[in-house]
Amino acid sequence: MSKNITEYALSMLRSLPRVSLSNIRDNPRAYRPTKRGRGQHGGDKHGAGNKGSGQRQNYMRLGYETGNNPFYLRFPLEPYYKGQHLRREYPPITLHQLQKLIDTNRLDTSEPIDLTAICNSGLFTILPERRQYGFQLKDEGADIFKAKVNIEVQWASEPAIAAIERNGGVITVAYYDIHSLFAAVNPIKFFRKGEPIPRRMIPYTDELAAYYSDPANRGYLADPEKVSWERFVLSQKYGYVLPCLENDPDYEMLIQRKDPRQIFQGLEPGWIINLKDKKILKPKSKELNEFYSS
Amino acid sequence: MKFEDLKPEDTCLFKMLLKFRGILGRISSVPSRFEKLCTSASLTGDSLPTKSEEIFRSSAEFKFPHPYQKPRQAWVESISKHEDEKLGIIDLHPDIFGAHPRIDIIHRNVIWQYKYKYVSYAHTKTRAEVRGGGRKPWPQKGLGKARHGSIRSPLWKGGGVAHGPRSPTPHFFMLPYYVRVMGLVTTLSVKFAQDDLHIIDSLDIPTEDPKFIEELFEMRNWGPSVLLVDDTDLMPKNITLATDHVGHINLMPVYGLNVYSMLKHETLVLTLAALNSIEDKLLSSLHRSDGLNSQKKFRLNQN
Repeated sequence: MSKNITEYALSMLRSLPRVSLSNIRDNPRAYRPTKRGRGQHGGDKHGAGNKGSGQRQNYMRLGYETGNNPFYLRFPLEPYYKGQHLRREYPPITLHQLQKLIDTNRLDTSEPIDLTAICNSGLFTILPERRQYGFQLKDEGADIFKAKVNIEVQWASEPAIAAIERNGGVITVAYYDIHSLFAAVNPIKFFRKGEPIPRRMIPYTDELAAYYSDPANRGYLADPEKVSWERFVLSQKYGYVLPCLENDPDYEMLIQRKDPRQIFQGLEPGWIINLKDKKILKPKSKELNEFYSS
Repeated sequence: MKFEDLKPEDTCLFKMLLKFRGILGRISSVPSRFEKLCTSASLTGDSLPTKSEEIFRSSAEFKFPHPYQKPRQAWVESISKHEDEKLGIIDLHPDIFGAHPRIDIIHRNVIWQYKYKYVSYAHTKTRAEVRGGGRKPWPQKGLGKARHGSIRSPLWKGGGVAHGPRSPTPHFFMLPYYVRVMGLVTTLSVKFAQDDLHIIDSLDIPTEDPKFIEELFEMRNWGPSVLLVDDTDLMPKNITLATDHVGHINLMPVYGLNVYSMLKHETLVLTLAALNSIEDKLLSSLHRSDGLNSQKKFRLNQN
């Protein structure tokens, strides 16, 4: 809303009667009460029609065509959506949206950005119960993307990787299993349970393992040496000068990576977060430490 | 009569001047001594304190400064004396005190405040609940009369009521979080724009006599009904005793501030501590990222 309109409205109020309980009203026609007509004709059938299943609300079962061979049985099975309920989904976030989150102070670029940071903006969410396995970074808005970030997403396209690295940033794609996702999406809810932070599981299929081990995808299981070579290869392919990470003032931030078993930056698996007393409980027993460090 | 001939002692003219404060506000070159006659809001963003008045808080200290709009400004006054002495000037956040006056949002908040606690106890009996009526009053056929199965049918005098009110009918509903926040912001902005909002340093008054505070509000043209808001619910002794039996002067802590009470009282008076607390709370409410989550528990479908 324009500033001038607000100013004008407020200045008008100065010469108008005092706004009080007796002279306020809703917008015209903002609310229309639902009426049940009464009387000879208004109260006739109440929209239910005359006789039959419409009035008595004993409808035929869905798909039944009063004796015809029903439509849903007329053709042989064409299973377009076979296994749809098992497929993984990666909701998109574009570089344009990412830039907007940064410009409106919803993301802090002085820290590594991960799934939790994006969900905490309140504008994007992941629903692990619907088999959403994290964000995929799309290249829309790659031309206007100007931020230098250390970002971790779960899937990324090649132009999106190029756009991040052209601006001196770093990108990693990392796998989160469903239990880790529930914790990462809503950490407060998870910490309130009083459970120890679980280990992040490794990819459960060979396909996923191959994707996350590939340096060209910036996989979190890939060899860092090979990743840096792939960074150079991509810069040659897209034709930009790769900014040197070592000379960057934010070098320390840019080289931060989570452990493959770690869900939260700075918190290790096995720890229990006590939100009430603001304390962290760490396991002391040798067996537990061995279990969580593996 | 020229403006220069006016005297502040001339109460009739004083009141007239207040009446036409809107016109006065538009005259660009008001002599400085008449600034005293104008109430707080007639100072626009451009005017700065010319004399030795203290600046209580400048816009540089805002938590979420507005990128374009200038801060609003108000006098800080005192109620310790009858004389209206200005202690200084304070910058008010334009997001809180210069929001667009959405009357419909105010209305929705007031209706919500009426309704969420309202339970209707109106009750009628159905044909099953009215005593008697179990027997068929006369045979179905052969009498030439209309057929009836019960003397308590809704068609009968003394029969049950069809679709009548049933007790208790709760009218509880929850207004969306941001509509509630916007209601407070809009009402504060409207109060400020209409010169019905005053900032005072504290609630300290010298006596517990109700006469003092009533005369003071009369002299300053506040009220008749005044809502005084402080940061804490432990108010000073004098003001508590002075306003205890005066129905139209009420005290309220910040956590009780609501749209209905602000509109119910003509004048709203905030202490500096209350102002800081209100601004702080409303700004963080406007800028929080999990505001929509607060509405979740009131959803009908909890799947």
